[in-house]
Amino acid sequence: MNDLPEQKETTLSFEKIKKDILRPMQNHKGLELWIAFLVTVISVCAWAYYVQLRDGLGVTGMRDYVSWGLYIANFVFFVAVSLVGMLISSILGLLRIDWITPISRIAEIIAVAFVAVAGLVIIMDMGRPDRVVNVLIHGRFQSPILWDITVVTTYLTISLLLLILPMIPDLAICKNELKKASPFLKRLYNLLSFGYINTPSQYKHLHKMIRTLMVLIVPVGLAIHTVTSWLFAATLRNGWDTTIFGPYFVAGAFVAGSAGLIVAMYFFRVSYKLKDYITDVQFDNMGKLMVAVCLVYLYFNLNEFLVPGYKMKTGDDVHLTELFAGHWAIMFWSSQLLGNVIPIMLLVTKKFRKPFPIMVISLFILAGAWIKRYVIVIPTLLHPHLPIQNVPQNFVHYYPTAIEISVTVLSFALALLIITVLSKIFPVVPICEIAEQKGIEVKIEA
Amino acid sequence: MKNAIKIIASLFLLFAFSATVTMAQKWSAPASAKKKQNPYEASTKNISSGKKIYNINCKSCHGDATMGNMLPLQPVAPSDLGSQAFLMQTDGEIYYKVNKGNGAMPTFEKTLSDEDKWMVITYLRSFDQNKKASKKIAEVINPEVSDVRILLDINKEDKRIIANLSGLTKKGDRVALQGIELSVKVKRNFGYLDISGDDAYTNEKGEVSVQFPKDLPADREGHVNLLVKVTDDAYYGEVIVDRIASLGIPTNPVNPLDERAMWGTRANAPIWIILSYVGGVICIWGVIFLVLFQLIQLPKLAKNKE
Ligand code: HEC
Repeated sequence: MNDLPEQKETTLSFEKIKKDILRPMQNHKGLELWIAFLVTVISVCAWAYYVQLRDGLGVTGMRDYVSWGLYIANFVFFVAVSLVGMLISSILGLLRIDWITPISRIAEIIAVAFVAVAGLVIIMDMGRPDRVVNVLIHGRFQSPILWDITVVTTYLTISLLLLILPMIPDLAICKNELKKASPFLKRLYNLLSFGYINTPSQYKHLHKMIRTLMVLIVPVGLAIHTVTSWLFAATLRNGWDTTIFGPYFVAGAFVAGSAGLIVAMYFFRVSYKLKDYITDVQFDNMGKLMVAVCLVYLYFNLNEFLVPGYKMKTGDDVHLTELFAGHWAIMFWSSQLLGNVIPIMLLVTKKFRKPFPIMVISLFILAGAWIKRYVIVIPTLLHPHLPIQNVPQNFVHYYPTAIEISVTVLSFALALLIITVLSKIFPVVPICEIAEQKGIEVKIEA
Repeated sequence: MKNAIKIIASLFLLFAFSATVTMAQKWSAPASAKKKQNPYEASTKNISSGKKIYNINCKSCHGDATMGNMLPLQPVAPSDLGSQAFLMQTDGEIYYKVNKGNGAMPTFEKTLSDEDKWMVITYLRSFDQNKKASKKIAEVINPEVSDVRILLDINKEDKRIIANLSGLTKKGDRVALQGIELSVKVKRNFGYLDISGDDAYTNEKGEVSVQFPKDLPADREGHVNLLVKVTDDAYYGEVIVDRIASLGIPTNPVNPLDERAMWGTRANAPIWIILSYVGGVICIWGVIFLVLFQLIQLPKLAKNKE
């Protein structure tokens, strides 16, 4: 960057930054082991999916009443986590908050991985996945399903662009520095660096594109989770028939996404030895952000449960009693307490915003967020307006089968694999942006 | 010691076995339920509406009352609800069992209203030899006949339908059949509307006269599909006539799928929703393609060193 003040005095030189960040991409033994592990898990679980394909959805626990089970709850969770890309790199980025620079790429990688797998989860929930094209061929404009498919693919596209575009200068560096990379990777770096050599006009041009996308992803990000909530809220079911579902889901997504990001930050910091870049400052600030989004989510939860709980309308009453004190009480309260209230209370103290404690807290928040999706989806289906009667016993309850659980594990392994591969071939911390921020001149050879 | 265990085990088995047997055989209502009384009187009207409810909800398993043609279900078959052995029970007992259900017998607690359940019980009670009040229906004895027919006479002005039921005696005479219940129905969108009224039993001339409702909508020409049948197939087998008659009020049918609506086909989606969707997609993807287009120009700018 040319119009910055002259090089400041700093312990970090451009060479050191490059070396630190590119090193784990070149040799990292543990990573290959981890990839092998993920691939094994995926192959084992793929067999479960094969059984489901062969024998049909009868192998799941889903029946006439609970026709959305584990898979859809998992889908909502994946969409929620993916929203972190829009929160961190675009909303905070547009606000020019500078501590996000080293973690914005991790956020974007998570977004891409989770939204891509979210789309797959929907297809895995279909007994006849080949019919997914029918949504495009015959989809009705009135149907939230069509909106959802549209918005998921759109969000995936923009997230991919927001991952690649800001990475172009870094990829130009990779092209020059990583001499030992495989021919395929070299071709990839060459292709994706778009001949970037950091001329002022290229810089301006690139940053205009990035800013456009950052603005564009805000409505699309809001839309993806709002539309996901409308899949529920557009029906007349107890527990889903509420007007705040859109913002409620978005708030919940920020919580789940931030927790996912903190966990990922921790593992990259430790495993990639990036302590100088992903510092305590990032964790501390993420902790404060987490308190903020948790408070917003708590506020929505109050609205969502206190208002109907006060009135106890016919229909709602059965549903709410089952949640508060019935069959779902343990899941419901543990998601509210362990996944929201207690984290807020802990994270207001600085001690708990240190990397390790906040990572553990985030794991709880993630688990709570997942369970929360489960108790949003399934109990409502078990409490239809017309009484359930004269049906086989297994229609009245829902317990996920081993096949369903395996396919869900598959989706998690797949998302982790995508994150791992992306972080293996791309620098997880933006080299050039860090250098710019520190006032170090960025030099990229042609 | 070993023996003791064996004895205890066999005693236990015996106990368990006898328990299942008694459970399967004896299904009895608690004493408090037995005392409950039927609040409805045994009028012809109530009996006939009870019969209709019975035919719809119970007949598929219990068969025709007194005919003994129940469905042979396992392990416990449904009883003949017109038999004297069954009618020994009090109204309250029957009411309790219909509500609760047992084994293959479904619960009707929520599917039938209280009134409907009492009507069925009133109807069943009409077969009770010990209760005289309700005898009159079954009293008429018709000669043995074959070739049973229903003749329809429709008066368009009064919208009156007169159905005549007759059969051929062995000697070859056509005689009217008396005291047989007929069902007069009109085909609607989903199934049939019963317009027989409360007392659709043939008189001594073998006739039932039914008033067609004055306000029933029909197709453009006012045509309706009428169907008249002997309610109980058990007497003469299935005896049915159907007829298209212009008794209804002519109406122009509206297909709710023809208008633009939320529930419509894709082609009939509301305009605003098509515009919002297509507009949104074009705007967002327009910007995406614009960015992609600019991206392709990035390499060119490398030469432009100003
Ligand atoms: C799906 C078949 C089915 C239908 C429909 C059905 N029942 Fe039953 N019903 C049974 C069976 C089987 C039993 C025997 C249950 C037992 O004793 O365990 C039974 C038993 C009964 C009994 C107790 C009989 C006794 O000997 O004490 C009554 C009363 C009864 N049904 C009334 C009705 C009425 C009234 C209806 C309609 C509203 C009806 N049932 C519809 C199958 C059916």
